[in-house]
Amino acid sequence: MHEISLVRTILRTLEDEFPADMDRVRGIYLKAGLLANVQPILMQNAFQAVVADEPRYQQTSLHVEVLPILIRCDDCGKTTQVQQYRFICTCGKPSRNVIQGEELLISKVEFDD
Amino acid sequence: MTTVKPKSNQASVGSVQCENTTLNLLKVNDFVARAIRDRLPDILVINVCSSPGSGKTTLMQETGKRLRDRLNMAVLVGDPETERDAIRMREVGINALQIVTGGMCHIEAQMIYQALDHIDLTGVDLLFIENVGNLVCPAAFDLGEDLRVTLLASTEGDDKPKKYPRMFLTSELMVVSKADLLPYVPFSVANVVQDAREVNPDIDVLTISSLTGEGIDAWCDWLLTKVAEKKGVLTSPAA
Repeated sequence: MHEISLVRTILRTLEDEFPADMDRVRGIYLKAGLLANVQPILMQNAFQAVVADEPRYQQTSLHVEVLPILIRCDDCGKTTQVQQYRFICTCGKPSRNVIQGEELLISKVEFDD
Repeated sequence: MTTVKPKSNQASVGSVQCENTTLNLLKVNDFVARAIRDRLPDILVINVCSSPGSGKTTLMQETGKRLRDRLNMAVLVGDPETERDAIRMREVGINALQIVTGGMCHIEAQMIYQALDHIDLTGVDLLFIENVGNLVCPAAFDLGEDLRVTLLASTEGDDKPKKYPRMFLTSELMVVSKADLLPYVPFSVANVVQDAREVNPDIDVLTISSLTGEGIDAWCDWLLTKVAEKKGVLTSPAA
């Protein structure tokens, strides 16, 4: 959803965080949980479209990693990967204790010297 | 003029990395959502979500009529365009303010925060936020609500909880609406409850028809209980 505005938000977030270094940004790494509804290929297309008008980002690439949904069982404490949106632990107990899968984060930034 | 270097040069020796940063892309929204919670400590705020046309506004109208003597209720209603929903609610005496999102498919916390300056919430017990009809994007945006309620009309089909899991995962209550049409459409309440609880085992379920009044008493009771719980938290912090 909203790939263009997400790309703009990514750049704005980094411009706020590293105002003096943005001409040196070479790699931006995004972690998107499966529940964030982010499609990597659409993000790449949106990124290309947005930076096309911004000379300072011509050498910058975007990397999107989609993270599976993980739940931690309140009962047995085990961590299980959610398949087919069945939020049920392998021990059989339902759980909505999502410990991974909702995030939308910039996890790493690479700068050139 | 910037020279564009070949892409293969980008992994240059001596590049610095900033690892394990956690720059949350929704941090601005979440920050404003917290400010909304701080600003409304004694009003129960419910974010009402659904597809377009599932009966949110009609349910708001019915709720306003039923509870007008027992609760002071207000509604912020979001739509991409027009003030029609707010007008519909004012016609039945509900204190309603329209948020025109200007084409946007969801409400963000900032819009609610600004709207709070333009609606009189003196003495209000219950504030509904009627979100834009959409089961995808609104799920990701915290509006500072206490509870999220998702409507699912019998005419939409009973496969929605698995198709739009995040919305049902983040809701406290699923309301199956247009129950008066259940005899005419292939919709199994049992199946939809099972699917919804596979996504969210804690979700409450109510089946209603705003047209015939079926289930509306149970819905009103649910609201009265939640309003009392919110105010109870305030008046007896030891509880």
